[in-house]
Amino acid sequence: MADAFDPEAYVPQAAAALGLPIAPSDLGDVLGALAILARVAGVVMAFPLPEEIIAAAVFTAEKGDA
Amino acid sequence: MTCAGIGQIAAAVRGRERSAQEVLRGTLADIARGNGAINAFTAVTDRRAVAAAAAVDTAIAAGHDPGPLAGVPFAVKNLYDIEGLPTLAGSKIDRDRAPAARDAALVRRLTAAGAILVGALNMDEYAYGFSTENSHYGPTRNPHDTTRIAGGSSGGAAAAVAASFVPLTLGSDTNGSIRVPAALCGVFGIKPTYGRLSRSGLRLFAASLDHGGAFCRSTTDLAAAYDAMQGPDPEDPTCSERAPEPVAGLLTRGLDGIRIGVADGYFKNQGVPEVFRAVEKAAAALDITRQVEIPAAGVARAAAMIITSVEGAELHLADLTTRAGDFDPMTRARFLAGALVPAPWYVHAQRFRRWYCAQLVQLFRDVDVIIAPTTPYPAFPIGQASVQLDGQRLPAAGSLGIFTQPLSFAGLPVVAAPVAGAGPLPIGLQIVAAPWREDLVLRVAAAGEALGLFAAASPPSLS
Repeated sequence: MADAFDPEAYVPQAAAALGLPIAPSDLGDVLGALAILARVAGVVMAFPLPEEIIAAAVFTAEKGDA
Repeated sequence: MTCAGIGQIAAAVRGRERSAQEVLRGTLADIARGNGAINAFTAVTDRRAVAAAAAVDTAIAAGHDPGPLAGVPFAVKNLYDIEGLPTLAGSKIDRDRAPAARDAALVRRLTAAGAILVGALNMDEYAYGFSTENSHYGPTRNPHDTTRIAGGSSGGAAAAVAASFVPLTLGSDTNGSIRVPAALCGVFGIKPTYGRLSRSGLRLFAASLDHGGAFCRSTTDLAAAYDAMQGPDPEDPTCSERAPEPVAGLLTRGLDGIRIGVADGYFKNQGVPEVFRAVEKAAAALDITRQVEIPAAGVARAAAMIITSVEGAELHLADLTTRAGDFDPMTRARFLAGALVPAPWYVHAQRFRRWYCAQLVQLFRDVDVIIAPTTPYPAFPIGQASVQLDGQRLPAAGSLGIFTQPLSFAGLPVVAAPVAGAGPLPIGLQIVAAPWREDLVLRVAAAGEALGLFAAASPPSLS
């Protein structure tokens, strides 16, 4: 998913859907920043993890945390 | 300049050799004289400081003990709440926030120990940077070469100690924001274990990764400040319930029984030769022959970048939506991009973190302390956008965290130690241990300091 990610196709549509205005003067830098994140996300997503590995957050109903 | 350390100041004040008010007058004069060239302070809390110093002197005159940090001036990165001031976190937007109703927890603990808060310090906007090139408040300049960055995001905190305005400052570290400026400014920094120090009253950046910590010019000062700040805090849900584990009395125990290794693989690439020479110098001085491979360190850095971007953007989403133009151009695009990161990237990064931490716990069965470089290069000129490293063109500020991010990602305790005589500009090393073993990283730092390996660098104008 991260490897096939196309910031130029994704950013205008996702930002519009989220109601996040991006000024034309910022668009190039945002595309660049998201391209970097997509590249590093490719490294993360390519790392195989067993299903039983869950994020470390511990939720308890009475406090909302550990 | 007031170069006395915490121990000297507190001993002199408690022993009535100097009054806290006299110490404070010297500090305020140093700041007034020197801050224009460095731009470390964004506020000087002189009225409050004068009242606090007078209270310390009154307590001593009455035979009371004002605490182990009696009369010690300190300052904090401007994301720590200071009662009566808006908490800027390096932003223009937060100038409009209501003044803080009370001090952050760590500020309260230091002042309860007798220390005197003298001001707030410059930083990258919302801590999203490694260079303290803040467009709203100006760049903080490195005291060793004022044309160069101080590092960030706690750049004001590192520079204020490097310039000897104060012997103690507080910063925060999400991906390296204490360790990077400590290295570039040639001072000691501590980023304790994630959850060791309360973050209550500290403006968060990426809550999964944020740590509070300190800068000083010696390990004894660092230990004294760290000890004064430890302890549980129910107001920070990530703060450990562990009782304080004081380290100040352990620093002279030396290296006996501590198995030390040098970080191999990932930590031996993507840096300039003088950085790796500093690691070799430390290995020789500390008689280290063991090499330690930290598994998947590059993946850890990548995962830290994803988590940081998402959590940072979420905290500021309302302002990004309604007033993005008021963000610093140095951070705006990265915050906006973080708001658009697909959720699976974030969750996978958090799951990877769990796997990675388990691997590091295994690693620390065979070694107690790991030495690694702090930054891939020393301070670069303010305004420089990119660097050439191993044949690649990389972002100059963004790449400063190459060696720090994989370690804070696991929440490990780290002391950033300045290597004496490493080059014309300061270079630092990271001393890393298993979770909750701040005692070991401080012992190794102190042993290196005793050997002359580590020492706070003196800026040319001060030497």
